[in-house]
Amino acid sequence: MKKAQVIPPDSYPQMMSKSDAAKISRILRSSEAVAKGARVIKDAGQKLRAGVREYVRELEDAIGDHQITSEKAHDIRGFAETAGLRATGRIADGLCRYFEELEKLDAAPDGAVVTLHVSAIARAAHAEEESSRMNDVVVKELAALVSHKLAETKALHPRKNSN
Amino acid sequence: MSGSAFEMLRVLVVEDNHHMSSLIRTLLNSIGIREVHEAGNGAAALDVLREKRCDLVLSDLAMKPMDGIEFTREVRMSPRSVNPFLPIVLITGYTERCRVEAARDAGVTEFLAKPITAQSLFARLAEIVERPRAFVRCGAYFGPDRRRKQAENYAGPWRRHDDHNDLQV
Repeated sequence: MKKAQVIPPDSYPQMMSKSDAAKISRILRSSEAVAKGARVIKDAGQKLRAGVREYVRELEDAIGDHQITSEKAHDIRGFAETAGLRATGRIADGLCRYFEELEKLDAAPDGAVVTLHVSAIARAAHAEEESSRMNDVVVKELAALVSHKLAETKALHPRKNSN
Repeated sequence: MSGSAFEMLRVLVVEDNHHMSSLIRTLLNSIGIREVHEAGNGAAALDVLREKRCDLVLSDLAMKPMDGIEFTREVRMSPRSVNPFLPIVLITGYTERCRVEAARDAGVTEFLAKPITAQSLFARLAEIVERPRAFVRCGAYFGPDRRRKQAENYAGPWRRHDDHNDLQV
């Protein structure tokens, strides 16, 4: 096998001097920069939520095609919470985990589980009161459903389950 | 807040979600980074890199026709690459181990999990500027050194299987 060649940072061009890097790093970690960035995200909230709802429409249209449903659920998981739609993101996260676990087991998703999640994501994304108790209950109930369904699927795929 | 070093930085954002891309651009602008280029997928990003000089890339993972992993591989390994040492932060909502390992093995510099916050994005940028990574060329791999930690309980002299060839005892 060929010997590894290690190239230390000083041996290739850097984007800035060490003193500039130290200065920039201090600014990036400052509470002032973080607060300003948080304001930027908050100010963009309305546009971002409109974007999430576009994805939700695409997710609803994708029902029946598990590949696209999974891709759209991942898009929503990565985006909804930044847009201030926490419950939407959490429900999408549950659906993504369901798809990911099934992929490991090489098993097909249960259509009813997917449809329930998609419907809950759509309701949460359009809810006036995002942080309602109802959303928390839905997230918990769907998580319990996913656990139950995955346990059933794992019981049917004992060999892959043991990995 | 904006220092001259920020103003000199040129960042490429590769993201197929234009809302997210626009948000990242605005976040970068908020700390004084003025030159932000955008591309909707890996292939378009390679075109941008051929035309514009960039110091840093923030890339999504799942894009079509070229995703963030293939894009990173092209930047690191292609003979046509403009800068194989370019820092690449992969921003992803996919957290499965296999995808993370594939991205690491393609030569990604840092990961940032979605959903992003200002704090998480700025912390990754700080990490990149304050601790530039050593690069390794070994067999089919070229990219940042994938070992980030020194094993606390390891007292031996070798870190690679072929290090003993160089060690003078």
